[in-house]
Amino acid sequence: MNEVAPIVHIVDDDASFLVAIARLLRAHGFCVKTYSSAHEFLAQRAADTPGCVLADLQMPKMNGLDLQSALSQTPNPMPILFLTGHGDIPSTVRAMRDGAEDFLEKRAPKKKLVDAVTRALARDFREREVRAQQRELRTRFDTLTERELQVLSHVVQGRLNKQIAGDLGIHERTVKLHRTAITSKLKVQSVAELTRLTQEAGIFSEPVSTFPKG
Amino acid sequence: MAGLSLNEERSQFQMSLITIIWSMSASACLTLAGINFLVWCRHRAAWANLIFSLLATGTAAWTFCELWMMRADTPVEFATVLRWGHVAVWLIIVSLVGFVHFYLKSGRPWLAWTVFGTRTLLLVVNFLVGQNLNYLEVTRIGHMRLFGESVALAQGVTNPWIRLGQLNLVLLLIFVVDATLATWRRGDRHDAITIGGSIIFFELVSTSQSLLAFYGIARTPYVASVCFIGLVAVMGYELSGETIRASQLDRKLQESEAGLHEIEERMTLAVEGADFGIWIRDLIRNEIWATDKWRALFGYSKSERLELDRILERIHPEDRDTVRLVLKNSTHGDGSYQGEYRVMLPGGEMRWIGSHGRVECDSSGKPILIRGVSHDITARKLAEMESQELRNEIAHVGRVSMMGQLASALAHEINQPLGAILRNAEAAELYLENASPDLEEIRAILADIRKDDQRAGAVIDRMRALLRRQSLDKRPVDVREFVGEVVSLVRSDAAARHVKLELTVASHLPPVSGDLVHLQQVLLNLVVNGMDAVDEAGGGDRRVRVIASLDGPRTVEIAVSDSGPGIPADKLTQIFDPFFTTKAKGMGMGLPICRTIIEAHGGRLWAENKSEGGASFRFTLPIAEESATK
Repeated sequence: MNEVAPIVHIVDDDASFLVAIARLLRAHGFCVKTYSSAHEFLAQRAADTPGCVLADLQMPKMNGLDLQSALSQTPNPMPILFLTGHGDIPSTVRAMRDGAEDFLEKRAPKKKLVDAVTRALARDFREREVRAQQRELRTRFDTLTERELQVLSHVVQGRLNKQIAGDLGIHERTVKLHRTAITSKLKVQSVAELTRLTQEAGIFSEPVSTFPKG
Repeated sequence: MAGLSLNEERSQFQMSLITIIWSMSASACLTLAGINFLVWCRHRAAWANLIFSLLATGTAAWTFCELWMMRADTPVEFATVLRWGHVAVWLIIVSLVGFVHFYLKSGRPWLAWTVFGTRTLLLVVNFLVGQNLNYLEVTRIGHMRLFGESVALAQGVTNPWIRLGQLNLVLLLIFVVDATLATWRRGDRHDAITIGGSIIFFELVSTSQSLLAFYGIARTPYVASVCFIGLVAVMGYELSGETIRASQLDRKLQESEAGLHEIEERMTLAVEGADFGIWIRDLIRNEIWATDKWRALFGYSKSERLELDRILERIHPEDRDTVRLVLKNSTHGDGSYQGEYRVMLPGGEMRWIGSHGRVECDSSGKPILIRGVSHDITARKLAEMESQELRNEIAHVGRVSMMGQLASALAHEINQPLGAILRNAEAAELYLENASPDLEEIRAILADIRKDDQRAGAVIDRMRALLRRQSLDKRPVDVREFVGEVVSLVRSDAAARHVKLELTVASHLPPVSGDLVHLQQVLLNLVVNGMDAVDEAGGGDRRVRVIASLDGPRTVEIAVSDSGPGIPADKLTQIFDPFFTTKAKGMGMGLPICRTIIEAHGGRLWAENKSEGGASFRFTLPIAEESATK
């Protein structure tokens, strides 16, 4: 999955700062693309490429926070890093709550900046892997029939075959047949593994939070 | 009783009538002489009275001589009395000349001296040659009847010097006629007729009578005294009228002097009370007079001589040219001037002086003098300056507190270029670590660093300009530029606060007259207030609009409208009161200061609520003079 080099997308209305920070990050070996507004970035970015966003919090028209919420609604949200000349507390709190990777002052130490960008790219890499895995799992679960999914939902709750047969009003043997089909289709060996995969695929719990907490 | 006894005794004293008339005339003359002598004693300048007194004395003496001659028994007695009578004639003629000179104030001096000289010479001759000036010798006494009485007439050998005596009388006549004509021409016709005319008349009569008597053409004794007495009467009448008028005038003068003194006293009191110093400059003689108070104001002693140039030197160098110009113009314009200026006293003390003055012109409109009043206004001036300073102080405080509100916006403005500089420098360092660094790129980086440094400097300059204390420095200000600059200053702050800042400036707006820094301060304050109001409302439409437009031919109006909650109707005027505030952190000084500044520019600042909601602060500014007259 790592065949395409990740891109650092920098969005800032201040042309001078934009050029300067791009130079620095390029010199550090990052692949960099610059945009003078949030709209320009949203219009130009490729659908599914690895990378992260480095955006000025204070921009006319669409500011950094607006960009963050727009980005989160796309299927491939990239981690977003905010830059600010002088951050005020309400903006910072809102940005972090909405999942900003980091919040940097424009004159933050170089190491902090480079580390933050590196970290954001690493997170993007991880999240992309998780998303790829989820997609693969989902294709597997997609092969299950309606009845098999019904049985599976009971199995992952730890119910016995007899209880499942009673609940669904079918014969216990039929439950066993469904379970064998499920394990062969999903290529799992144990109930524990089945439960883990179901969770990872986020089949029964609505939108599964995909990134690690903390 | 006296008349009765006189009639009874007439037969007994046949000659007494002449005696009575002549002696009464003589005593009347002596009385007049005495009175006029006393007048002269009291008013030593009244020379005419002294001379009249001498004239009257001479006339009295001659009258007495005449009486004696008429009663003479022997030729020797007659000659002796006539000889002494010439002393009286000398006195009469000399007095006449003097009277004409002192009373009519005319006549040729050389003629006067000639008459005086010849008459004096004749007096000497009178005593040295013959028995008297008329006769070398009186040979016999004849008699004739006058008023029924027998009077003596002389006959004898004529003295040849009498011709000079006659010439002297002609000279006197010429002198008097000449003086009378001069007096007439001068316009004093009354004096010319009464004094000049009577002298001429009586002299002609007396001379001809004397000649007739002397040459025996008419049988008559010497009765010239009648003429002289007539002369004395006319002159005495004139002189006494003069004396009465003089005393009346004197009384009036005293009265008006008393009035003047009273006015002067009142003036002095008023001037002292008001602490005014008065000065008068005589433009013709180029002299300056001033009261002691004025001298004290300008640091002059009571006796020091005042000169305009020296006075101007005492005036503060910064005010000197203005004062000079005002003084110069005062003699051309409406004739008055006023001014306030500083005076540097010799001790180094400075004093503020307020002056008012007026120019006085003669009938042809030529300025002849300037009268002025000066007073010490130092206390008032100091108070004025103090309150001005206080106003500046308050404005400064206002600016500083507003700077606090804007600090974040400005920090952002400065952090942009500083951030760019830092990143560029760091990038350059990295490039230089390469074995073969890209010098072209590094050069570009350095150019960018310089550019950003200037940008940061410009922000700081702007901040300093806002913080600096200054008094109004009015210049033509381009409205688009000034409004645009303020809006760009708050734009990032507005963005951070999610407030839309809209700017509309009408095209072809003429420049306004104002102090750019102060106007920016006002607009900044209003825009920041607008954003605060938007925050307060918390509604969806977060907007502050700045609109500049032409309001009439001489005024530009700038309106700052917000989408905030508006201002309660009862607070629309109150918000401009000092220390009235609706904000938790506000000092309540922003709007009063703004209003002060706008009013100092000759404009107006007021607040109103918009029909669609929100408040609108509007202020007007006058268009700069040059463009307004175009």
